[in-house]
Order: sequence, then C-alpha cells, then structure tokens
Amino acid sequence: MPTTQRPARRFTRRQFLQGCSAAIAAMAGARLTHVAYADPTAPGSYNEEIMVVVFLRGGWDALNVVVPIAGADRGYYEDAREELQVPANQTLALNAQFGLHPALAPLLPLYQAKHFAIVHAVGLTYDTRSHFDAQQFLELGTPGQKNTPTGWITRHLESAPNLPPTILLPALSAGSTQAMALLGSTEAAAMSGPNGFNLSGHWHWGDPQRAALRELYTGANWLYEAGTRTLDTIDLVEASVTGTYTPANGAVYPNGSFGDNLKAVAQMIKADLGLRVATIDLGGWDTHENQGDEGGGYLASNQLAPLAQGLAAFYTDLSNAACAQDYTRKLTLVVMSEFGRRLKENFNHGTDHGHGNAMFVLGGHVNGGQVYGNWPGLANAQLYDGYDLAVTTDYRRVLSEIVSKRLTNPNLATVFPGYAGYTPLNLIQGSDPVTPPVLPGPHRLFMPLTQTGGCS
Amino acid sequence: MPDTVSSAAPPRRLSRRAALRPDRLLAALPPFEPPPPAGLRAPDAAVLQGGDPALPPLSVIVYNRLAFGPRPGDLAAFNALGGNDDARLTSWVDSQLNPNGISDTNCDNLLAGAGLPSLNKSLPQLWADYYVGNQGRTQPINDIREATMLRAVYSKRQLKEVLADFWHNHFSVYAWDYGYASATWVHYDRDVIRANLLGNFRTMLGSVTKSTAMLYYLDNYINQVAGFNENFARECHELHTLGAENYLGVVNPLTVPKENGVAIGYCDNDVYEAARCFTGWRVNNGYWGAPGNDGSFYYQDGWHDKANKLYMGQYLPSSQASDPLKDGNDVLDLLANHPGTARFIARKLCCRLISDDPPQSIVDAAAAVFSANTNAGDQLKKVVRAICLSAEFKAAWGQKFKRPFEAAAGMLRATNADCSNPDNSFWWYYESAGQPLFARRSPDGYPDNKSVWANTTALMQRWRFANILVRDDLGNVTVNLLGQMPGGLTTPNQIADFWIARLLGRAMDPAANRQEIVRFIAQGVGYDNPLAAQDIADRLPHMVALILMAPDFQWR
Repeated sequence: MPTTQRPARRFTRRQFLQGCSAAIAAMAGARLTHVAYADPTAPGSYNEEIMVVVFLRGGWDALNVVVPIAGADRGYYEDAREELQVPANQTLALNAQFGLHPALAPLLPLYQAKHFAIVHAVGLTYDTRSHFDAQQFLELGTPGQKNTPTGWITRHLESAPNLPPTILLPALSAGSTQAMALLGSTEAAAMSGPNGFNLSGHWHWGDPQRAALRELYTGANWLYEAGTRTLDTIDLVEASVTGTYTPANGAVYPNGSFGDNLKAVAQMIKADLGLRVATIDLGGWDTHENQGDEGGGYLASNQLAPLAQGLAAFYTDLSNAACAQDYTRKLTLVVMSEFGRRLKENFNHGTDHGHGNAMFVLGGHVNGGQVYGNWPGLANAQLYDGYDLAVTTDYRRVLSEIVSKRLTNPNLATVFPGYAGYTPLNLIQGSDPVTPPVLPGPHRLFMPLTQTGGCS
Repeated sequence: MPDTVSSAAPPRRLSRRAALRPDRLLAALPPFEPPPPAGLRAPDAAVLQGGDPALPPLSVIVYNRLAFGPRPGDLAAFNALGGNDDARLTSWVDSQLNPNGISDTNCDNLLAGAGLPSLNKSLPQLWADYYVGNQGRTQPINDIREATMLRAVYSKRQLKEVLADFWHNHFSVYAWDYGYASATWVHYDRDVIRANLLGNFRTMLGSVTKSTAMLYYLDNYINQVAGFNENFARECHELHTLGAENYLGVVNPLTVPKENGVAIGYCDNDVYEAARCFTGWRVNNGYWGAPGNDGSFYYQDGWHDKANKLYMGQYLPSSQASDPLKDGNDVLDLLANHPGTARFIARKLCCRLISDDPPQSIVDAAAAVFSANTNAGDQLKKVVRAICLSAEFKAAWGQKFKRPFEAAAGMLRATNADCSNPDNSFWWYYESAGQPLFARRSPDGYPDNKSVWANTTALMQRWRFANILVRDDLGNVTVNLLGQMPGGLTTPNQIADFWIARLLGRAMDPAANRQEIVRFIAQGVGYDNPLAAQDIADRLPHMVALILMAPDFQWR
C-alpha cells in the first residue's frame, strides 16, 4: 500500500484552513498573503493537473454512440439493429470507419481541434453483465474483487508523490453521495454545488454553534473524520466562494443535475483550492426498451444531447485565451460507463447489457481527433460470448496513461493493483515518470493553480 | 513520501483549537511544524480519545436501530417492560412483531386527517382514477411519501416502519415515473410490501413479480416470446434473491456445480432462461390484446415462450404449458428456497438491523431460520425475531450511520415536532440530503452503508435541517422546545443535561462533549448560575440543534 503519510498533508491543510476561515480572516491577513505564493525555490515541482471522471450509470449504448459506418461491420450492425441503427449519413464522421452520434455534435469541434479522443472496444476484462458488479469493479479498480477497501482515485491521491502538502480540497464528488472511485478517501468532499453549502446558522448563534460542532467532531473515527471534513469544506466554501457563479465565455450548461454538477466542478476548479480530481455521475443509460429508433428518441434527446452540451459547456467555461488562465490545459476528462450494450437490439426497441464499450478522453494534452483501440469487428465469431462487442483494451490502460503521464504518479501498481498491462496508447501527451520524483519537503505552501502550467 | 512531518502528535486537534481561538491563531501557525499540543485548552484528554462510542443502554440501541429514534417517553416505556434487558427486549420485539396488536390511534388519525385521497383505494380504483383517469398520476406516490414520513415519525409500530423501508429498498422501484408505478404506488406499498414484510418471502417475491409497478419498472410487462426482455429476470436474481454474491458470470451452465440437484449459483444463461419463463407476465393495461384495463397482473398465453428450458440445472419441459404460470413459478420457487437466497437476505437484514459488517455467526443463524421456514406464513417474522433477540444485536453500536431519512425522522421524533402535514418546503429541505423517498433511479435501492452516506453533503444537510427545524422554518413543521422543558430548569448545567437526556437518552460520549453543550448555552455565565428567561428562549433552539448535530445523534 502507499507509503505516503497522510497526517503530514492533513496537518498543513488544517493550518491553512485556519487562515481561510472567514471568521478569522482579518487576523490572518498576513498569513493569507504568505500562502498565496508558491515556494520560489522549486517552482513547478507539484503536479497541477486536474482529472475529471464522468461516469454514465446504466451502461451506455456505445455502438450507437461511436457508430460503425463502413465495411462489413456496418452490415452486421444494420442487420442486428434494424430499428435502432443510426443512419451512416447522419453520423458525424470521425474517420473512415466510425461516425459520432449526431446528438453529440457539440463535441465535434473538440474532436476536430484534437482535444477529444475516443477509445473503442474498451472496458472491463471480467465476465459480468451486472451493472452493480461492473460499476464496483471499475471504480474500485480491481476487476473481480469487490471488497477492496479503497477506490482507484483514492489510491491515486494516497500514492501521488507530487501533490502539495497544503492542498485544500483535492477531490470532489459532485452530487449528494461520494463516488465509489473515492471510497475510503478521507479528503474528498461530496457537494452538489458550493452555493447553499452552509449550515444556515443563526446570524448570532451560528458561529459559536459551528465552533462547538468542531469540538464535538474531534476524534479518530469514521464519523469524526467525516464531520471534520464537512466543517472544513463549509469553511473553505465560505472563504473562497462568494456570489453567483457566471460561467466564462458564454458557456451554457444544460438544465438538471448533470449540468449543475459540471458547473459546480468548474466553479470549484476556478476557486483555486487545489482541486485535482472530481467525479460526476449521469444516470439513465439502461435502455432496455424504446431507446429511440434510427438514432433519435430517448437516447438522443434525453441522454446524449445533455451529455454533449454539458461537456462542451464545461470545456468552454474552463478555456481562456490567455494560456496561464486556461484550465483546459491542465484538464483531462474521462467519460466511462460500466459496459456497452448488446449488438442485437431486443424486441422492445431497446438493448440489453453488453460488454465492450467506448470511452471519451478530453483535455488540453489529449492527442485527440482519433479513435483508439483495436477494433475487434462485429462478425459473429468476433463477438464476446457470441453477443457483444469484445473488449480489446482494458479500461485500466486508458486510466493508467492519464495517471502516469498527466498526474505523473508512477505508482500504478498501487492505483491498479494486480494490473501489469499498461503500455501507453499514446492518446495522452507527456511521458511516463520513470522513478518517483524527489519529494518536496514539508514546508511547501499551496501553489495556486493559475501560477504555472505549461502552454505547450 | 518521506516521513518528514508525520511523527507529529495529533495535528487535527491542534489546528482545530487554533481555528476556534483567533487569539491563538498567529501563535499556532508558523512555523510549519506541529506546535506543542499543550496550553490551548484543558482538559483535552477525553476529547483526544474520541473514537468508537461505548455501548449505550439497550433502549437506545433498540430505538435507533429498530425504530426511527426515540420520541419523548419511549425509552422510559421500554425500560418498564421487564426486569432485565433480555426481558425488555423480548417483550418489545414481540410486541412490535405483531403490529396490529399495537394501538396506533394518533398516527391513524393523523393519516386520516392529512388529506391523502388515494390511501385506501384498491388497485383497480387506483388504476381507474390515476392512470386511466385524470386525478393526477402522482397523487398516490405523493400520498405514500407523506404517509411514510408520518408513520416513521408518529407510528408506534416502529419496527414495521423500519422493515417497510428495508423491503422497499430491497425490491426498489423508482416510483416517480408518472406512469404505472406512481399511479399504483399505494398498491405496491400496502399490498405488496407491507402485507408481506412479516410473512413469507416466496409470497412476497411473487407479489412483487406480479405487481404493476415492478412489471413496468423492470420491463417485464413487455417480455414476450417474440424476443424476451431480460431486465427483470436479471435483477430478480442479482438484487431480489440470490444476490450478486451468487452470480457466476458468463460461464457454461453445464459446468456449474450442483448441490442437492440445484446449481450453486446463477450464470447469464440462467438469466436468459428465467426471462423466457416470465414471458407473457404482463399488465392488464388495455393494450396488445389485454382483456381489460384495470392495472392488474395478466398472463398472456400467446406471449409465453412454451419451449423447454434449462434453468439452474433444472429441466423445465415444454409440457409445463398445461399450467402456464408454472415456468415462472418454478423460477420463483427455486430462488426462494435456494440457500444462497437465505444467506443473501439474512446478511442484508443483519446489515440493516445490526451493523454494516455483521458477525458471520448471526448471519448464519438468521439464514438457518430463513431456510427452515421457507413454507411458513411467518417466515420473515421469525428471521427478524432471531436477529433482534441475538447477542450480536445487543453488542453492536456505532458501526452504522443514520441515513438522511433516519436522521430527519429521528430529529422530528426527538423534538416532538408537529409535522402532521408536511408541505413542499419541508420536502425540499429533506430531499436535499440525498435520499428522496422511493426515488432511487437504479433498481438496487438506497445503500445502507456508512461508506456511502458519511460524506460532506449528507452531514451538512442534516446539520442544516436541524438548524432550520429548531427555528420553525422547516416549511409548516413547528416545534415548541420551551414548552417541553420542565419549569425550574434555569442553569446551563440543568438545561443541557435535560436536553441531552431527552434527545439522546444517555450521556454524551466522550463525556467531555457535554461541556460544549453547557458552554454554548452558558455563553460565559457560570454553569450553575440561572440564566435569564430571555437568554434561555434565545439560545435554547440553537443548543438543541447542536445536540441533534452531534456525533451522538448520528450513530445507529
């Protein structure tokens, strides 16, 4: 397990928090100024990359998302999907072989700008068609093993050698529950959004009540930990997030919790609290019936359209012409789901649980504009269990490349224990760290995200 | 990471103290080494040891795990039930397991007066009025949401309410679909879940399988021979009976070992075969050749796949067509009698009633009771009784976290709040915490595990709920705290101790936490000095909220 010493980081985070708390901010003014500057002796030795994982709950229909448009596979696809097939000439051409579902049009400019890559026939190399098993395996990062006590992102945070010890809010689950990928993390917050994230305390008695609450939640136990983390998050939000959030560049998020959650993540990224990983869920993909014929209907308008609109808005919101303020240069966003759906449509104009899947990877250092992976084909003999798109790329290979190249955490064996299959697909720019970097000392101060970051 | 500062003595406490004491702040900050822990405030030893809580009185365990928390007087009443803990527990549990023997007039009257028009309608009436008719498809789900909250808060049949919540989440349906489930939700709640929760599992399973809401939610209402739909069949195995722990994945069914002639677990082929067995199990909905339109279960012979099937090592011949429901009933029989189902249900009940990680001994014992009584009409009552009266039940505390529903109902009960007719504002606050009733989208039901719920949103929202409750802003919910306090309690010590006992039923743990409550109400006055009436009126609600926000209130 990781060799890092969490108390070290925690301690300094707590100290910084004191400086943040609005109630004492005035007294700590000098302190805040101090903290606002990075240690000048070793600038840039911290990793400042941000990873956002969007999980599509229910198993999205990858074959109608990244659609085969040519060759024999188009024929197999049309044979199997008499009703549901997306007409080839309506798809958005990705290359000679695949077209993107037309409802994802808002993402096409990112593909063309090479900020958006697709991996096809990717997924879990474990035999399950269970939603809940598959989600657990993926998020715990241990296929076949469900009692792993921590999620893969938790283990990344614990083993990353290059996060500032004073980092304040390294991980956020947008929504009301904490993602399983962050299981066991004592430094992740769950939040639907910063606005309203407060105790609604009395104008006079609220402060002493809050102070007493901190005392009451002192101790070593999962509940005390959670209580302290909650109070810290309330303090952080109060000290750093004020007023209504206006997305940049005219970005318009879709209505609903997915758009709200994306917006909250963007807001928290810009609050410069050190957010490094965030998780967002979008449900509704379990389309056993009436998912929409010929590429229209439910899947197109209720699911894919808001997904694309949300991701495009998020990207737009985080972009900036001045590269030092362009958060997309530090961003890698992954879209994943527990499995793809069956090649053959069912009798109810839907699709049942399948296997092989597609992942999206977006970000400033993505070698986009390409479809990655080893396409297995859709002939009967090429299908998994005779039914489904096969998995030819382990999902951990994609995530490992992000962890390794962008988050520069070399401890892949900790993040994905038992997985030895990593070689880069080269869908991400950067190089794999060979050895763990020399670690910074304990006196490092928080480095605002905007201060460095490559404009490569 | 090098071990540079990790040798630090308890860092979090230090920083916390400093945060609370602005005058100490600058001294406490630089350098970035742990400052000495002494001197900030004494005594700290007890606080520093705050960890897993000690076992509270049995009455507290019972009311926080087998009920939605104590109302005023509940704990004293429990303690009067017998001469020792075992006698009291047995008496209480046996009484609760015969809910119809408990007079529940107050709750009944509240329900009758709450204006819930769909509550006593039969399935055909519900279908006619709310699905076919125009009286509002969401009326039944709205009524049951309100009835469920009222019962959790007011009913004396508390164990029944806990079990209703358990089984609703076990056989979870997203009920806000503006369709079959929302319009018939009274039927699902009353005739499917509540009618069977102390009865026989096989009966309950059959009732669920044939219910309008489940048939629709998991697509079996369109499952037919022309092309089966596996959605219900799969979740029936994974979530309702055998559980994922008995899922063998994509394997050749002939390679699955058998025990007593039955496969030890299920594989994908069994899901497909079971789906075929359930073809034609649909809703009498007026379409596709249905003989009527009353929302009831309807078997359509022409939709049933009559060819033979091989399911869980059993051969179901095509001749079963002479009893057309036999295919599906055989599947349900096998599942309800399978030892894997006994283990899965037993563990899940133990997780609910004892601990997130219950001792294997009680899981095995409960599974044995389940298996020994598969034909008994009170099978589930026997299983629940075995769990509630076990040594493991009495020994467990503090390993479960109240979920938003339990926390909210518990606060309303403890404060004797009047929430007899909760309005939209109440629901908005309640639902912000992440557990809106009957609204889990995926069919797995809300998890009952602290690793999911002990997060920043769930805690922040319940703290907020407490603050809003005590100042009477929780929609039309009202609470009169001053009126509940005996006259003559005027000093900080007296007031704090009264309310700690009232709300928690025991001393705070660690004991030093009591000081925070006393300090809060005292605000600098001596702890044995009388407070002015106005000061008490001003501070009491916020002190009560603080107790409701404390760790002591969150354990189960």
